[in-house]
Formats: sequence, C-alpha cells, structure tokens
Amino acid sequence: MSRRLVCAALYAALLLPAGVAAPPAPRPSQAAPTTTAPRTALSERVVAYQIDARLDAQKKIITATETLTYRNLTGQPLQTFPFHLFLNGFQPESTFFREIRQNGNRGPWEEKHRGGIEVKSLEVAGQGNLTSAIEFIQPDDGNPKDKTVFQVRLPKAVPPGASVEFRIAFESKLPETLARTGYKRDFIFAAQWFPKVGVWWRGAWNCHQFHYTTEFFADFGTYDVKLTVPQNYIVGSSGDELSSVANPDGTKTLTLRGEDIHDFAWTADPDYRVFEDSWQGSAGAVKIRALMQPDHESQAARYINALKGTLDRFDRWYGPYPYNRITVVDPARGSAAGGMEYPTLFTAGTSWLTPAGLRLPELVVEHEFGHQYWYGMVASNEFEDAWLDEGINSYTEVKIMDSLFGSKTSAINLWGLTFGDSDFQRLTYAVVADTDPMVRSGWQFMTGNAYGGVTYGKTAMVLLTLEGIIGEETLRRALRTYFMRYRFTHPTEEDFLKTVEEVSGQNLRWFFDQAVYGTQVLDYSVHRILSDPVDWFAEEREEKKGVTLYRSHVVVRRLGDFIFPVEVEIKFDNGETLREKWDGKDRWTRFTYVKKAKVVSATVDPGRKVPLDRNLFNNSVTREPDPAATRKLSNVWRVLVQMFAQALAWLA
Amino acid sequence: METPTKGVLAAGARLLLRGWRVLVWAYVVNLLVGIVAALPLAATISGILDHSLEAERLAKGFDLGAFFGLLMQPEVTMSNFVPGSFFVSLLYLVFMVFLTGGLLADYRRDQRLSFGAFLDACGTFFWRFVRLLLFMLLAMVPVGILFDLLNRGAAKIARNSPRDSVNYSLVLGCMVITALLFFAIRLWFDVAQIRAVAENEPKIRRALGKAFRMTIGNFFSLFWILLRIGIVALAGSAAALWFFVKVIRPEQVGLTIVFCQVFVFCWLAIRFWLRASETVWYQRKFPAPAAFAEAPILPGPAESEPLSLPAPPLATPSGDTSA
Repeated sequence: MSRRLVCAALYAALLLPAGVAAPPAPRPSQAAPTTTAPRTALSERVVAYQIDARLDAQKKIITATETLTYRNLTGQPLQTFPFHLFLNGFQPESTFFREIRQNGNRGPWEEKHRGGIEVKSLEVAGQGNLTSAIEFIQPDDGNPKDKTVFQVRLPKAVPPGASVEFRIAFESKLPETLARTGYKRDFIFAAQWFPKVGVWWRGAWNCHQFHYTTEFFADFGTYDVKLTVPQNYIVGSSGDELSSVANPDGTKTLTLRGEDIHDFAWTADPDYRVFEDSWQGSAGAVKIRALMQPDHESQAARYINALKGTLDRFDRWYGPYPYNRITVVDPARGSAAGGMEYPTLFTAGTSWLTPAGLRLPELVVEHEFGHQYWYGMVASNEFEDAWLDEGINSYTEVKIMDSLFGSKTSAINLWGLTFGDSDFQRLTYAVVADTDPMVRSGWQFMTGNAYGGVTYGKTAMVLLTLEGIIGEETLRRALRTYFMRYRFTHPTEEDFLKTVEEVSGQNLRWFFDQAVYGTQVLDYSVHRILSDPVDWFAEEREEKKGVTLYRSHVVVRRLGDFIFPVEVEIKFDNGETLREKWDGKDRWTRFTYVKKAKVVSATVDPGRKVPLDRNLFNNSVTREPDPAATRKLSNVWRVLVQMFAQALAWLA
Repeated sequence: METPTKGVLAAGARLLLRGWRVLVWAYVVNLLVGIVAALPLAATISGILDHSLEAERLAKGFDLGAFFGLLMQPEVTMSNFVPGSFFVSLLYLVFMVFLTGGLLADYRRDQRLSFGAFLDACGTFFWRFVRLLLFMLLAMVPVGILFDLLNRGAAKIARNSPRDSVNYSLVLGCMVITALLFFAIRLWFDVAQIRAVAENEPKIRRALGKAFRMTIGNFFSLFWILLRIGIVALAGSAAALWFFVKVIRPEQVGLTIVFCQVFVFCWLAIRFWLRASETVWYQRKFPAPAAFAEAPILPGPAESEPLSLPAPPLATPSGDTSA
C-alpha cells in the first residue's frame, strides 16, 4: 500500500498548473481475450478456488458460488478452518472502524460505506451442510461485533496429505470505496470480495481480523473465476482472460484463471481506456495493460514507462518476474482505491495535468509493482511482519526511483524544487523514530502514522544504512537470494535477517537488535570544533597561516541511544582532510590535533552512509558561518509576508 | 467631453510616476513589515543552518528533503512566526488605509500635494475609509457565502463525473465568479473612496449609495480598466516566474532577494496604477467645476505653493535580516 502522506503532499502540489508529461503514448486498444496453457506449478498450490460470480452493477452486489479445494500439507489432521470475510470490516462496529476512529478520524458514519459478505450456505463435500456451524471469532482484539473472521469445525478431520472441498454460496455487498475496495460511480474495484481461508503457519492457523493498517496473508494456489458483468464494462483482473462470452441479457461472462497467486482481485468500469504494451524479461514476455480513467489517457505512457523501468531493474537486480502479465489500474477519481497491490494487478493514482516533474504516478507505479515481489511472490505475513513487504519494498522503491530519476530528484523536480525519495522515507521515519520496533504487528503500533513511519520509512533507512555496512552490491545479492529462496513461500523476519547475514558473511545481530527489534534512535552530532594557538600565552604573538601552530579539538557526541560506529571527517585550512573512526559507544569523543592549520569543518558520516541518523543538520560544524541558506529562507518568508500584507491592503 | 476610458491607463501611469514618492514609501513600509516578520525566523534558523554543511542543500538549490528536515527541528515552530507576521500584516493594512486618503487627494490634483497637505488628507479621510472598509467587509460576506454554496454545488456535480477536468473546471469557475464579484465590490468601494475625496463627502453611506449607482452605470468601462491592468499584472508575474526559474541560479541568493523585492514592488505599483487610473476615469467622467478642482480638498487654507513629500530613504531590498 502506498502512504497517504506522500499522496496528500504530492497531490497538493498537483494544484499548481504546469505542463503535463508527454512521452509517446502507447496505443489504446480493445481488450482481447488470450489463451494460456496451464504452466508448471511455481508454488505448492495449497488452495484451488473456483468462483462463479455475477455483478449487479446497479446494486453493487456480487452474487457468487465458491468451491475451495484445500490441500492439507500441514502434516497433521485439520478439523477447524478459519475464513476471512474482509468486507465485513466496512460496518460501523467493526475493528476496522474502531481503529480508524482511534486514529483520530471523527467523520460521521455514512451508510454508503457499508459493505459485507453474507455466507448463504457452506457445505463440505462428504460432510454435509455446515452453514449453522459457522462461528465468528475475533482472535486479535476480542471485539464481538467484528465479523471479519469465521471458523467452521468439520465433523471429520482432514488427514494430512488429503484435500477437502468447501462449497460456499455468498453475496458480497460492495461499499462505496473508503479504503482499497468497493465502488465509485460505475467504477468497481473488487478486492477481498470472497470468503478466503486462513494460512496454516508456524504450526497454527493464522487468520487475522481486518485492520485499519494491516493487509492480507493467504496461501498460494489457483483461481478459476467466471465473472458476469454488463457488456459495456471493461474488466481487469488477477487472472488471464481465457474467454469472454456475450449473454442475451446484456451481460458478458469472462473466464479468468490465475495460477500461483494468493489472492484474486478484479476491477470493472465502462469508462476505462485500455492501453497495452509488452516487456521482455528474463522469464519471458510480459503483457502490460493499463486501464486508464478518462482525462488520464495522456498519462498512460508515464505509467507504462515507469513500469517497464521497474520491471527491468527488478528482473536484473532481484530475480525474474515469472508471470506473463501485469495490469495497472488507474482508479476512479475520489475512489480511495489507489496505491494497492494484488497479484499481477495493482492500482496506481494520478491526476489531470500532473506535471512531469511531480513523479507521483511513477512513484506509485514503482511501489505497487514492487509488491509483486515483496508480497506477491515472497508472501510474508503482512499482518505481523509488515516491514518485510512494505519496508523492503520502500527500500527497493528508493533504489529504483533513484536509478530512474536521480537520487536528488526522484520524487520531485519542479521549478527548482527537488525532493529525493530517500529523503521522503527518512522524514516519515524521523517523526516517529522511537515509537515502535519494526517487528510489531501492524495493528499494534501507537498510531497509523507510527505504523507508516516505522514500517515504510524506518525499514528503508535501516536497509540503506545496512548498505553502508555490508556494501550496496552485497545487499542486492542478499535480496536476490532472499527472493529466489523464499518466493512462493511465507518467510519470517528471521529468514530475511539470516539471509543477509549469510550472504554478507557478517554477524549483524548488533545492528538488527537495535534497528529491527529495538526502538533506539540514531543521532550523532559534531558538538564543537576549536583551534587554539599552542603559544596562546606568548606576548606579542602574531598568527600566520601555515606558520602558527594550533591545538585543535573536535568533539563528537552520541545524542541517541543507538550505538553505531561512525566516521568523522575533519578539514583543515591548509587543505588537509582527515578521516577518523569512532566506535560510537561512549556518549562523546574528542579528537585532538596539533598542526600548523586550523580546523575548518568536521562532519560525522561524511559519506552519507548512515541515513538512519535522525538529524542531519547537527552532523557537521563549520568554523566560519555561511548565512546563505538562512538568507534564502528568510527571503522566502519575507516575500510571503509582504505579498500577504499587500493582499490584505487590497481591502484598504 | 473626453472619452473617460481613452488613454486612461497612460494617464494613470503618469500620475503614478508623478507620485512615485508615495509608492516608494508604501513599499518601504511593506519591506519593513517583511523584515520584521522574518526576523524571528532568521534568528531561529541561523542557529541551525549557518554552521551546518547540510544547509548547502538549501543554499545551492531548494531541496525539499532538507527543508522539511529543518521544519522538523524542535526549535522551528511555525506558531512562533505566523501570529507575529499576521499582526504586522494587519498593521500594514491600517497604514494603507491611512495612506489612501492622501494618495487619492494627490492623484485628483493637477499638481503634487505638499507633505503637510498630504498628511492632512490622510488624517481627514482615515476614519471615513475605516468605515468604508468595514462596510466592504460586510459586503464581502454574501460573496463568501455564495462562494461556499457554489463550491458545494460544484462538488456535488463533480462527484458524479469520472473526469478530473470537470472537477477542476467547476472549481476554477467558482473561483472566477467569486473573484469577479470581489473585484466588482472593490471597484464600487474604489469609486466611493475617490468620490469621498473628490466631494469631501463626510457621509459614508451616502457616498456608498452614489458610488454604487456610478459603478453600476459604468461597470464595463471600470472593469475594462481593471481587466487590462490585471492582464499586465498576470503576464508580468508569469514572465517573472519564468525568469526566476530559468535564469536565476539557486545559489544566487543576493540576486534572488533583489529580484523578489522588485517583484513585490511591481505588485504594489500595479495597485497604485489602478487607483490612479480610476481617479483619472472619475475626473473625466464627473468633472468638477474648475474652481472646485483647484480648491483645497480639505477645510482650511490652501497651501500657497506645492511642496513635495520628503524623499523616502532608499529601499535596500537586499537588506537581510539574518546578518
């Protein structure tokens, strides 16, 4: 999921008029069904869903039957099965809304935001109708009004290695989109729209309630979906479109199939403009499809170019993209469905006349595509270890955005204003640097901002700092190893950390204990620099450059509780530069020099290898002041006030 | 009779040039307001920036990462700067209300007013113009309500459209309509002020009523003056923005400061030009008897000979608060 903060900040800038980016636009096209032969399984395929669904476009209701075949690969008999009903989160007394309110949103309840899944019947092959055995549970917070998880106990346990078939009839009422899923006018985005079984993980069922900040966790498998929608609707989905048949009642039925994915989302909108392109990766050709909103056609090229650049770097740096398709959805205006990831499909977000220098569309495309790797294939538990997908993905986002647009201008390069993505990540982290450890479950963070700042921003800074310890190339190899080793599985945080240690050949526990498991704040500063003539006591003393001998002191302090070895660069007025190393353990250290030169400046972390340092302004001290920046900012404020005063004076 | 709008902008510009001292004084006070407002900010941030190499990201460009990083420093709290800046801006409004009487009295005369007469005019009309300001604020209330209603209506229409452009167009439309109404009211009160000075009208409500009829009856010619000056202002601003972005390098801080002050000065001059042009228009449209036109505006003896305002101190746009 992309952060709302960046969206808000960047969208604010969108109000500024400017020219739009106009790279050559891909050719609009009509969606054409494709035929895909079943492939060799990439995953264990624990689940196989067959869903026959019909959309009532007027009522925004999906009526469906679902057949779920679950393979018991747990090595033990299973008798109880939990299921997610995420759409039930869109009810006022749910945990989802409780957490929204807890985070300070005090908006009134609006009935249009009500959503839900009603299970009409649940049968288990060979075990009869178990609808009456459905029991809602609340494993996370005990909120009895939350109906986002139910469990059913089977009369007979499913033995290890055997399969069980659930037949579920259900009706999903889509909410007007408030977050991620629902409808807006004719736009439909159906995510978490069907009953989905939990994951047997670490020796127990893992099936969390629907939370404000957390996302989803599911087993890999196959999805065969028959979807009936009005004929004028253009559809995008997590599956290949195998066929499209027009029905006499003005609808059409699409046959869709997705393999080795752990979720199935789809979207439909009569207003979509379709743009297609392709990209050749190391695992074969990938068909790119962009479903654009009216008024956004000119930005399809921005989406697609960013997507190709991202695909290229992921393919080269971290591993092959094995699917043959990727769909980027431009959600409807005001739909709140932008910036979300689903297997082989994700939502982006832009606005009419977004200037080229404002890279919000590219940034969202990069981030959400990145989730195809860190969530889509390396399917870590998003409820409990969100940093493993959002955080790693924020790090790779920085690397790729920097690679595509330059490190200083990867987020904004407009009218002399610049903003790098890494700085953005650092700022989100810096405001909540000590609230929560990265390893906390998503809904247990102090606030939504703390969740975002730590999970996205801090993780990115931790990994960028890790680059400084083990090297950029080594970390890239570690990520590649992690991807190749754990794709199509559910790795834990230790799986990741141990992979990094293994590839780097270093024991990094001292770092992980503070950065990942702890809440220590890293902040080193140059406290003072001083050069004093050695013969300060002599009468009729005259200081001469290059002749007078000075005793110089540089005092460096550790202001935070994070212990980290740092480098200090000291520059002298004879041009000499020294680099000192300090283990950073004590609260301060002093470097003393006796030279025929004065200290000009001292800088902690001159190579900018420790972006985890919360405050960069105190990292350096110069002997001579340079008021240029102060003058510049004062000028900005002065002019703003002058213009404001003049505007007021129009009343005179 | 001379066509009221023909050559009115040129005549207004000549008046503006003739009264350049008043303009410069208004600018100097405006600059002082800015300097006073920026002083606390400069004092605070200089402690963070002046000895830090990180500040180069702001001095040699405008890196938003560094900028937001600065705003996150505990010492930098906007609530420490905003109220003071607002207060001095309000003082500037009061100053301009004071200045306007003298300015209009000066513009309506064939010759420059003496300093004493100018101050007399400022004082004589100050409270009248304060009352006018209050009336204008009252007149603005319905415009504000209308803006809110229009916005709500536009939002309702836009909600049903999948197109961004509909939303933007409607918002823009609301803003244009509101701006037109605002300017119409401003023209009405401009005329009321000019008339109050020209007729030495002590009864403000009567002045307003007559000015309203004058404005309504001559709205298009008045609006034509405003529109042309507005186009000049907007075109000039666009050119200035282009120059600022394309020509001035980020590290040229001194040049940036000078350029910004020239820009601020030009905006002030635009407002004065409009005032002068409106006065010319009024004099042509409603010429006073020759004897009246030459008579002193104020009760009391006329100045025996024109005196001039003392020249204001040279404005030092680059005068920096942080030094």
